[in-house]
Amino acid sequence: MNLKKTLTAETISLNLQGTTKDAVLAELVDLLMASGHIRDRDAVLKAVQEREKRMSTGMQNGIAIPHGKSDSVDCLVAALGIKRSGVDFGALDGQPSVIFVMTVSPDSRTGPHIQFLAEISRPLNDPAVRAKLLAATTPDEVLHLLLG
Amino acid sequence: MFSSELKFIVQLGILIVFTRIGGHWLRRWLRLPGVLGELIVGMLIGPYALGKISWPWVGAMFPPLNGAMPISTELYAVATFASIVLLFLSGLETDLSTFLRYSVAGTIVGIGGVVFSFLLGAGCALWFGLADSWLDPHALFLGAVGTATSVGITARILSEHRKMDSAEGVTVMAAAVFDDVLGVIILAIVVGTVRAETSGGPSWQHILWTAGKAFGFWIVATVAGLLLARRFSRILKYFKTTQAISALALGCALLVAGLSEMAGLAMIIGAYIMGLSLSRTDLVQVIQREIEGLHNILVPVFFATMGMLVNFAAVVPVFKIGLIYSLLAVISKVAGCGLPALFCGFNRHGAIRIGTGMLPRGEVALIVAGIGLTSGAIGQDIFGIAILMTVITTVLGPLFLSASFENPAPGLRHPEDTTKTVAPPIVLPFPSADMADFMVSRIVTAFRNEEFYVYRLTPEEPTYHIRKDDIFFILSRDGQEVRLTTSQRHATMARLLVAEEMLTLRSMLHMATEDGDYASFEQNFVATLFQDSTPPPAE
Repeated sequence: MNLKKTLTAETISLNLQGTTKDAVLAELVDLLMASGHIRDRDAVLKAVQEREKRMSTGMQNGIAIPHGKSDSVDCLVAALGIKRSGVDFGALDGQPSVIFVMTVSPDSRTGPHIQFLAEISRPLNDPAVRAKLLAATTPDEVLHLLLG
Repeated sequence: MFSSELKFIVQLGILIVFTRIGGHWLRRWLRLPGVLGELIVGMLIGPYALGKISWPWVGAMFPPLNGAMPISTELYAVATFASIVLLFLSGLETDLSTFLRYSVAGTIVGIGGVVFSFLLGAGCALWFGLADSWLDPHALFLGAVGTATSVGITARILSEHRKMDSAEGVTVMAAAVFDDVLGVIILAIVVGTVRAETSGGPSWQHILWTAGKAFGFWIVATVAGLLLARRFSRILKYFKTTQAISALALGCALLVAGLSEMAGLAMIIGAYIMGLSLSRTDLVQVIQREIEGLHNILVPVFFATMGMLVNFAAVVPVFKIGLIYSLLAVISKVAGCGLPALFCGFNRHGAIRIGTGMLPRGEVALIVAGIGLTSGAIGQDIFGIAILMTVITTVLGPLFLSASFENPAPGLRHPEDTTKTVAPPIVLPFPSADMADFMVSRIVTAFRNEEFYVYRLTPEEPTYHIRKDDIFFILSRDGQEVRLTTSQRHATMARLLVAEEMLTLRSMLHMATEDGDYASFEQNFVATLFQDSTPPPAE
């Protein structure tokens, strides 16, 4: 699958403002809304929050991968945000989350969803990539680090 | 008397019915590959045995026809079509990535087997005076017939012993692919050389030109096929339904087979290349599954038709030579593949397993022999020798290979560590097999929603192959356990997908037990079932 078509500079924020889980989720959905990828902001936010209620997508090492399915999108869309000071996301290791990759895909159509999450997560397993991401100053740097 | 169309239909019906029964009996009662039953049925009902007997009202069912071809052209055309389907599927089944991973050991083992087989086969023809020189068509055909291992027979035995993914298993499969390829190239050269006989006789220059042309066609067509396969598969996917995709793929295989013939090579080469090209796409299992029905009906007809061509009277004088040729065919693979294996990291056990694994000859040997016979390049005697060798190696191969795996000793001098490439399987223990089955169906649906192609291996066993491009998973249920296996590279996806499905399952269980409406759902459903009421009016 073509990650470059899904994650673009306009859906990357290197300085998230939110200090709570809900605020970060809303900020990432707003990024997608501003880029014209979604039709109904509230429906997408609800889908992502519903998924978080079942189990937090906060993983280890400061990574969170919030995601959901909603027919407010026509195809797989993604946003990436960084909050260097960290946010309590209810992560598995109890540590604050700093790198957030949000994915939303259509509910009633087939297509990669988990595959995208897995592929975008793979480089994040590398501590050096995570460190460089946190030090990145432009969205293009982030894209280069994750997509090569 | 039957009209020719009616006779053909009746002949085809007889072949399909009796080959199925023969194959079934041999597999069930003697535990031998069904292909032998099909060959033997062909010999028995063919024009040189029961087929020539005239029956009241209907006459002879398979009367021998004059010329090199004792059966009708219609029947032979069906057999040719079956051989194209067979080689197209062989190409599809080729695991090119495994082949490339084990290409060094596979290539060395494959070359060893091909060189030994060709030299011993052709040498046998020379030694017994069946041929005047190495360029004699008899020598060339007896050399070529023995080169190609039957991947299908070997794979079935490896699979039965769960050794398909062992070092010996993958080396045998890689080597079998290599000697299939070499066998097909040799066939192309032999056919080209024999055809050249009609225009002035073969010469070394001509052989080099034919070999170059065959190798050139092979390389160009294979490289073009592999490069264009993804694009071609995208075009096929435009047609959405698996039936349309498979029919178009088979149609194109027939067209490439025709092109191959027009280029002066055998049709099966084109069909094999087409299959090989598609083998790296995610459509492979879809096409396999759709064509499997056609394959199951037609391929026994092909083997039986090859059996029908055996003229016993012509084989009797060369029977002893046939036995010696068969013995050489055994030695050439056991030694020709086993010895090189010793230099590729295998010990004595591994080398014997590889040598015996390469032993069975089958479809390609029969196709080569059939082409030789119908082109007039070889006579009934050489054809009979080739069939005898195929039968003997097909009987001995599975027996030897099974025996070689009875000793569980490792086959490698330094057993390899697979943990670097294969991730530890995800194992999900459930309280019951029903629940495990439910989870399997959830995971299958989840992969399908991700647009993966999911293929259940057999209706009896809940094991699935799941593919998309180069991503591959194996999902299986063993009792109450669900297992998902993949490479290290794709382990993250496996874990994320399973985690999502476990979450969904937990939500469903919670809903079913805690939600008031659902918790009493079944009670509400049957509560009024035996309530006293007025019986419904009779219809």
